[in-house]
Amino acid sequence: MAEQTTVARPQDSRRETLAVIVAVAGWLVPGLGHALLKMWGRALTCFVTVGVLVIVGAGMRGNLFRSTGNDAFDSLGYLADLGTGTFYLAAKSLEADGADVSHAGGDYGTRFLATAGVLNLLVALHAYEAARGRKA
Amino acid sequence: MSAGLAFKISHLQAMLLFALVISVAFGFLARRRPVDRVKYIVWSLFLFLLIGVGIGWAMYPFSR
Repeated sequence: MAEQTTVARPQDSRRETLAVIVAVAGWLVPGLGHALLKMWGRALTCFVTVGVLVIVGAGMRGNLFRSTGNDAFDSLGYLADLGTGTFYLAAKSLEADGADVSHAGGDYGTRFLATAGVLNLLVALHAYEAARGRKA
Repeated sequence: MSAGLAFKISHLQAMLLFALVISVAFGFLARRRPVDRVKYIVWSLFLFLLIGVGIGWAMYPFSR
């Protein structure tokens, strides 16, 4: 029985490195990963949608989780919020008065911020796959 | 004086905005052709709202 061997070609390794750079760029700035791949429509849409979620979430005074969480839910929330990349810092500065989850609006804001982070991670993963040539 | 943003939107407005933004993002990521994107966005938005309102009504008997 013939054995199948896979040999990594130099261009595969280069493409993989490029895909990782695209993914990290897409995580840091929503849409930048797709912009590097010249997918302008997707890049603009991702930037705007993640941006709207962050602005509205912070405007509703949602809870922006910190690294000093008390329990697992706080840690998970922090990871989700961190998914927005540099927009995490923007949300922090927009929420000058801090979170207020004593009313439903603040609670919704927390969900908006977490969703923005998770959505941006999905976008970065999509850009990574597109850069590897798997789908577009 | 506060320097931060302040939005006051109702529950329905929050749900509509959330559903619309996520549907648009999903539509652009999942489809390439503009017509397919529009179809996907409309269908996704409809399902978001249907399920959101449906769950709301399902919880109504237990709300008080």
